[in-house]
Amino acid sequence: MVLLATIIPFIAGFPQPIHISKESRDLYDWVENIPDGSTILLTFDYYPSTIAEVEPMSRAAIKQCWRKNLKLITLSTVPLGGPNIAERVLNDMATGWAVEEFGEEKKYGIDFINLGYKPDYKAVILGMGDSFRRIYPTDFAGVSLDSFPIMRDIDRYEDVEFLFIISDNGIVDEWITIANRQFGIPIGSGVTAVMAPKFYSYLQSRQMVGLLGGMKGASEYENLVGAEGMATLFMGPQSTVHLIIILFILVGNAAYFIGGRKP
Amino acid sequence: MSNFIRKQLPMLFAFFAGMVILVAFFSGKKIITDFRSDMQVWVSIIGGFTLLLGVASISSVNLQKVITRGKDWPYKLVLLVCLAVSGGFGIFQGTESGTVYDWLFQNMVTPMMSSMFAMLAFFIASAAYRAFRARTLEATILLIVAIIVMLGRIPLGQLLFSELPVITEWIMNYPNLAVQRGIIIGAALGAASMSIRIILGIERTYMGK
Amino acid sequence: MNQTFLEMTVAGFLILSIFSFLYKDNPFYRLAEHIFAGLTAGYYVGLIWQTVIVQQLYVPMTQEGKWEMVFPGIMGILMFTRFFDRLSHISRISLAFVMGNTAGIFLVQQLHGLILPQTQATIINPLSGNWLFGIIPGGLVIIVGVITTLVYFYFSKEQKGLFGKTARVGIVFIMISFGAHFGYTVMARLSLLIGQVKFVTVDWLGLFNLN
Repeated sequence: MVLLATIIPFIAGFPQPIHISKESRDLYDWVENIPDGSTILLTFDYYPSTIAEVEPMSRAAIKQCWRKNLKLITLSTVPLGGPNIAERVLNDMATGWAVEEFGEEKKYGIDFINLGYKPDYKAVILGMGDSFRRIYPTDFAGVSLDSFPIMRDIDRYEDVEFLFIISDNGIVDEWITIANRQFGIPIGSGVTAVMAPKFYSYLQSRQMVGLLGGMKGASEYENLVGAEGMATLFMGPQSTVHLIIILFILVGNAAYFIGGRKP
Repeated sequence: MSNFIRKQLPMLFAFFAGMVILVAFFSGKKIITDFRSDMQVWVSIIGGFTLLLGVASISSVNLQKVITRGKDWPYKLVLLVCLAVSGGFGIFQGTESGTVYDWLFQNMVTPMMSSMFAMLAFFIASAAYRAFRARTLEATILLIVAIIVMLGRIPLGQLLFSELPVITEWIMNYPNLAVQRGIIIGAALGAASMSIRIILGIERTYMGK
Repeated sequence: MNQTFLEMTVAGFLILSIFSFLYKDNPFYRLAEHIFAGLTAGYYVGLIWQTVIVQQLYVPMTQEGKWEMVFPGIMGILMFTRFFDRLSHISRISLAFVMGNTAGIFLVQQLHGLILPQTQATIINPLSGNWLFGIIPGGLVIIVGVITTLVYFYFSKEQKGLFGKTARVGIVFIMISFGAHFGYTVMARLSLLIGQVKFVTVDWLGLFNLN
């Protein structure tokens, strides 16, 4: 039943309204207000298991940033797959979407760079506060950072305008309590729906400027960026499966109460 | 001497490392923050070897099972072969896109890992029918709020009742926020006291026997 | 991602092997499970070799003259003494160094990064924020919710009398939050399934086109 509820909307396809939440709009607006041509940090802090949920956020973020000609310094604190996911998404966007949108590719080392991964995320985040190059002397491929124009005059958090975290784990806490609190870089994040409820506290305390929560957040962001993609498409099946689950809960409880509360 | 290396020396290292962080935070002097920064590179390098330690442990356990023809040894052999192939290509060919290492990750690791987590959806569906019971007042509140949030987060919910997304947002931004903040503060107090104990050498369970 | 049909077939076969566990444990699932474990472990080997051993140790030492990097290298190698009973205590030095560093960062994080700003953000006008249906002020909900949640989780004192009633209010708030969390968790897990179903039915097998 769950499988059918997933497949039928793909075939039938029904358009649905997307209500834009305040936290998604705040994140979008903050990025829109970053001066064109600035440099931002974009993290790929997610494992392959949650690609369906958070990769649409990464793609929409790259679209919004490249439309404003923002330079992207990407990195990952996730040992299993983060840097390779970043490579795939960036290359795909730089040679595919960018050519459709701008008529030319985005260039590695000029428009974006992938710093890769270094172990021990606390040490990495804290160490980057003093010097990016001490922690990341090279990019993911092992080429010295000094050979890339994008890294000219960029060596600390205060040299970049914004930190955009895309994550499926608690690394957001580390970025907020170290990078934002100790070094002052503004932070926005897109996280899985499992993690999202926790981070509303950071929104209210202004330690985070905006939040995308799960696939709904991704679809809202795609809507705002004006580039509907996988997340918007997946909201159809999401709706039907949610209804199935609610039905199961209601029927299960009805059977429980009618049956005299027998387990 | 042996006792010094077993107990006092590690405690001194822990104390020194912790104090560098604290002094650098409060003083902010460049010479100390530079030293802190160099220390983070050292910690990152040691962290990398710790990951390799885990791999070495897996290899050792499974190699033993293959040699002694233990239970499921053909599967363990497959595991070791895959480890050698993936690791070998990573070392000799590199890890960037276009390498065999990257191909194995994109076309084999990623789909498998995604599937393992996707299976949870079926278990949730099964549990929704069989286990989620409104037995008590607390459970009833939990289920009612869960249903409101589940409906509020889907476009169909907005079609059913236009204010549902607004109610959901209010739940997330006020009562949920309050509870999460309470948990954050409580956990932070506990974590802070544990950190002090580690730095002062009172807590040594991480060293093992 | 532009995958060839062969690549999609490999991925699709492995996906179906993993999903076959839903029926029952079987050789296809066990094979896929062990392939996954092996490739993952090998992934770590390749990653650490390139990002740590080459980029952080070998190149700085041999090409930039930073011979002091031999010390963290040695400390890292000392971690492997854990495999030898008579030498395993030496690994404590490296472990303690990392733990001390982590504890120091943790201490600052928790006090300066969490407790202070979160407490500060709770001291607000109770009548501020959005009012639910014009009746319940959001600010008051935050203040009452934080205090009652902290009271509930204080187990060093018996929860009776006024303290017990406050904890009871805390439980109501906690159930609301857990309900919301549950709703979001269901959403998350279903999202992952939708992604896999789309890959198998649309991308790989081409059973239908997307609308």
